Amino acid sequence: MTYLDWAATTPPDSELLHRSLEESIELYGNPSSPHRPGKAAKILLEDARSRLLALLSPRRAERKRGGTLVFTASGTEADQIPMLALLRNPMRGNASTPAGQARPHLVISAIEHAAIFAQAETLARLGFDLTLVRPNADGILSAATVAEAIRPSTKLVAAMAVNNETGAIQDIGAIGDALVSAAASLGMPAPLFHVDCVQALGKIPLDLSSAKITSAAFSAHKLQGPKGVGALWCAKPIEALASGGGQESGTRSGTENLFGISAFAACASKAISALETHREIAFSLEDRLLRGIRCIPGASVLPLGRMPRDSRWSPWIVSAAFPGLGGEVLARALSDLGIAVSTGSACSHTRAAKGRRILDAMGVPEPLAFSAIRISVGPTTRPEDIDLFLSSAEDLYRALKT
Amino acid sequence: MESLFLIKPGEILLKKENQKEFTRRLIQQLHKRLGDIGCTIEEYPGRFFLFIDERFSGRAEFVLRHCPGLNGFSKAIMCPKMLEAILDASETVASKAIASGGRRFKVETRRSDKSFPHGSYATCAKAGEFLLEKFPQLTVDVRNPDFVINIEIRERAYVYGHTEPGARGLPSGTSGKGLLLLSGGIDSPVAGYMMAKRGAPLECVYFHAYPYTSEEAQRKVEHLALRIAAWCGSLRLWVIPFTEVQMRIKKLAAEDATTIMLRSAMMEAADKLAFKIGADAIITGESLGQVASQTAENMAITGAPSRLPIFRPLIGIDKEETVSMAKKISTFDISILPYEDCCVLFSPKHPLLKPNFAEQTKAYKDMELGSLIDESLGRAEKFVYKYREVLEDFGIE
Repeated sequence: MTYLDWAATTPPDSELLHRSLEESIELYGNPSSPHRPGKAAKILLEDARSRLLALLSPRRAERKRGGTLVFTASGTEADQIPMLALLRNPMRGNASTPAGQARPHLVISAIEHAAIFAQAETLARLGFDLTLVRPNADGILSAATVAEAIRPSTKLVAAMAVNNETGAIQDIGAIGDALVSAAASLGMPAPLFHVDCVQALGKIPLDLSSAKITSAAFSAHKLQGPKGVGALWCAKPIEALASGGGQESGTRSGTENLFGISAFAACASKAISALETHREIAFSLEDRLLRGIRCIPGASVLPLGRMPRDSRWSPWIVSAAFPGLGGEVLARALSDLGIAVSTGSACSHTRAAKGRRILDAMGVPEPLAFSAIRISVGPTTRPEDIDLFLSSAEDLYRALKT
Repeated sequence: MESLFLIKPGEILLKKENQKEFTRRLIQQLHKRLGDIGCTIEEYPGRFFLFIDERFSGRAEFVLRHCPGLNGFSKAIMCPKMLEAILDASETVASKAIASGGRRFKVETRRSDKSFPHGSYATCAKAGEFLLEKFPQLTVDVRNPDFVINIEIRERAYVYGHTEPGARGLPSGTSGKGLLLLSGGIDSPVAGYMMAKRGAPLECVYFHAYPYTSEEAQRKVEHLALRIAAWCGSLRLWVIPFTEVQMRIKKLAAEDATTIMLRSAMMEAADKLAFKIGADAIITGESLGQVASQTAENMAITGAPSRLPIFRPLIGIDKEETVSMAKKISTFDISILPYEDCCVLFSPKHPLLKPNFAEQTKAYKDMELGSLIDESLGRAEKFVYKYREVLEDFGIE
């Protein structure tokens, strides 16, 4: 199989996963136990935490400022925790807001992953006001537009670092700054600012310490780690809605998945230390892919204006349209030829409505959006893989286009 | 322990010379569906009696509910034609009804054996009196009872309470065989069910346009076929690879006519298949005016390639009624699974609403799809659904 769906999940790093598995079998104690096996496990857990934390905030001075890292069961869970925490305080956010007080308000971008988008819709049903901020035609959010959406009742703003369908990189630093100054001019405390970094970690340079971010979500299996483990970085510990044994500073109760966490830390440090080398690989694959797609008669890159090495896009993710041929049909036919691509987020395929929410939000015309597929690569993708995809897609497009 | 079901046949009682044949078919169907479980079916004028091992009464109820040709059935107690025995049986039936909350009741008696010494009215009165004495919580209410104790005095005496509705209609095999065009949508399974109730044995045909339609879409149609088999006993599904035909149409037909051309081609293929398998009619789920291709003018054109009668049982049924029938026959939840069928991919923005018959039938002939259709029929895949699989699908032992 030629695997070009790294944004959905990645082939696990067998060596690192085996090492972590052995470690976790040996150090089987519960990290919360006071005895020796427990303490040994605790050391492994905290070592993984501090390694990851150091990778996320590389500047030592900033790191001292604080920020904690909480391990979760997925990137989705890491997205949900700060949103659901708003329900903890009735004054701060839920349907039982006292009369006369404005309903609590959320601002999210219209291109968020379902982990944020669907959760925000649920909160809206529970009484929150919800504002969706649309990106421009390139799928990029304007910091000023996001900041304009806040009002005194705004509790949380969410914007993703890298879009999972188009690869668009959002200027998180600028959005954070704009939020702080907009809040100051409204005479209100800055709202919480949550960033979904699932497609960013280990893929593009990321530095949480410089931005006005209050929380950020990560997932291990997007960088060759195991499925079932994620992390939530938070500037201050979050009093979560879900309660329990109080593990992970009380933000995420439940005995920690030591195997997953240790493998996550190992895979993240490998990816981040190799980031520069990998990015060169990614840029050359992106270049090959974008040029190749433009050579297929009728096909186009989405958004149309995307060029190779443009810093506004993650080189790992490319969206392309084959008008006249449904994206699912092309993906199915490619799969039969041994090439795995996707039609957007794998997480939205199980839902009944198979819209193209993200491309719609960008204003991509329906015939293009309907025919879109996503090609996403990783550091072990070879140029031949791209060439095979391009020639197969061209043949299939010619044969199946209607 | 043995269970007894009293079966009330319906429409077949209206038949005169043919009644015997219809009865034979119904009993044959019941035996076939009950399979290797030993059972006895006794046949009397206006009533059938099914005797079956108590452990299989769940299966018997499923079979009786889904077998066309019977109006209703009841679990009954059989006893000698003696008042005392009848009263004992009515006590058993009443105590069940009381356990499920019944308080007001009435007794109805049918006495076809006039040698029974007590008249119908007298039997009702005696049973009523007896039950009121046994169960002080009961009151008689002949207008609006919670339950009815039925007593029938015939070759033997029978006592029963609730009557479950049957599928009604005619027994499978009493009408000509129908070939159902099954798409995966909500309508066509309902159309199949309606014709199965008219006694038509069914086969189904599905046009698969891989890779335009997914394997999941085909799985869905296979599951629908199995659900329809619950009504007609067993059926075969033919999956016709239709991609090449569709591509040819897309290439040759005017854009606004692609839908009617595709439907005409499906009809031609269905007609050819029908002759091959010995079907006597083609069945579709079309409903007048539901979508642009289902206008009278369009149906004239799309129906033209078929030499056989085309049955459209939903023609005058509105969507809401169809949906409620689909829910009743457990096909709705499968039909709404989000896998597109081929029609979705081949729908022009502005399809023809009032096409010219002569023009369009000529345009269809001019495409000369015949050999391509023959070739696709040659590659048909056949699925056979036996009643045993139906029972498994519904979780019936």
